[in-house]
Amino acid sequence: MRTPDPARTRAREVDRELLRRLHQEGDRSAREQLVKRHLQLVRSLARRYAGRGEALEDIEQVGAIGLLKAIDRFDVERDVSLSTYATPTVVGEIKRHFRDKGWAIRVPRALQELNAKMSTTIDRLTSRLGRSPNVAEIATELKTTPEEVLEALEVATAYTTLSLSSGPGGEDESDPLESLGHDDAEFERSEDRASLAPALGHLPTREQEILRMRFEEGLPQTQIADRVGLSQMHVSRLIRKALGTMRDELQ
Amino acid sequence: MADRITLEAPLDGAFGPVVRLIVGGISERADLGFEEMDDLQLAIERLHAEAGGSGRLTLAFELSSGHVTVRIGPLEEGGLADALQRPAVPGALTLARVLDTVVDSYGVEEATDGRLFIRIVKLVRG
Repeated sequence: MRTPDPARTRAREVDRELLRRLHQEGDRSAREQLVKRHLQLVRSLARRYAGRGEALEDIEQVGAIGLLKAIDRFDVERDVSLSTYATPTVVGEIKRHFRDKGWAIRVPRALQELNAKMSTTIDRLTSRLGRSPNVAEIATELKTTPEEVLEALEVATAYTTLSLSSGPGGEDESDPLESLGHDDAEFERSEDRASLAPALGHLPTREQEILRMRFEEGLPQTQIADRVGLSQMHVSRLIRKALGTMRDELQ
Repeated sequence: MADRITLEAPLDGAFGPVVRLIVGGISERADLGFEEMDDLQLAIERLHAEAGGSGRLTLAFELSSGHVTVRIGPLEEGGLADALQRPAVPGALTLARVLDTVVDSYGVEEATDGRLFIRIVKLVRG
């Protein structure tokens, strides 16, 4: 029989006391302490999902929302540790975040491989044809079907596309789009929403420059790609990412 | 005769990639080049994000010889519809500016039932 680790037993007792204070006395400071005590768990779980096109800090923030939900829903009568109880909630919140962002946790290998060839193929065909290739031409070049090309392009786009309706997506949150356009004050706000300019300064210099070339100079992606030394697909992804970031800033 | 496809999608970011994939398929049928397809997808993504309204959005595609027309709506009155009809502010990166760049024409239309839609047109350059 295993001897209980005294440090772990003590930590569990402290958790239970904090949970009791929160749930029975409504002590909000206990909630904060619980969050601090279990942030390391969130970081550890978040690291499993790093390298999938999302900043680790963002994944940690989403995981922290899961931790808060677990703390708030914890039943102090149950004989289970908070970390055991919180782990599936944190992981679930992270997975839901990825799903809501529109990209699967697992992308089939064949699509990953096709996606890896896409960028250079498009640039090569653009150069050869003197215009942007269509999907059928890309498919022929890659010896695949147009449908698979579209799916592979979607994989590439989805990895960098931000949510169309921002926010962590909790059940209690209202959709920011719902509050638009009801009276004059709302009308002014909607005008602000239509203007992306104020958030431009918060973008990295390269993204600002790409947006300026695309939307002020009106340059096509191919020319921008030449100027900045990136592939056309990369330019496309940066434009999407930058517009999404600016929209989120304004919300 | 033009081919028509109508899609009703929730105004939920999770459906953005689904809409984008469908727009990609339609663009492929219309023989749009990769960059033109990307432009059309971007226009529809931004409108999907900004439309407001009742929680669902209808996208009606019409594929004619030489161009693709998309009607998107209904839009909420006083919101995006008005903002898009105002003259562009010089130097401001507005949604109108984005549309000016990525589609060949756009405009707000009123349906017979009074609901507002935005119509965008993308030419097939080949």
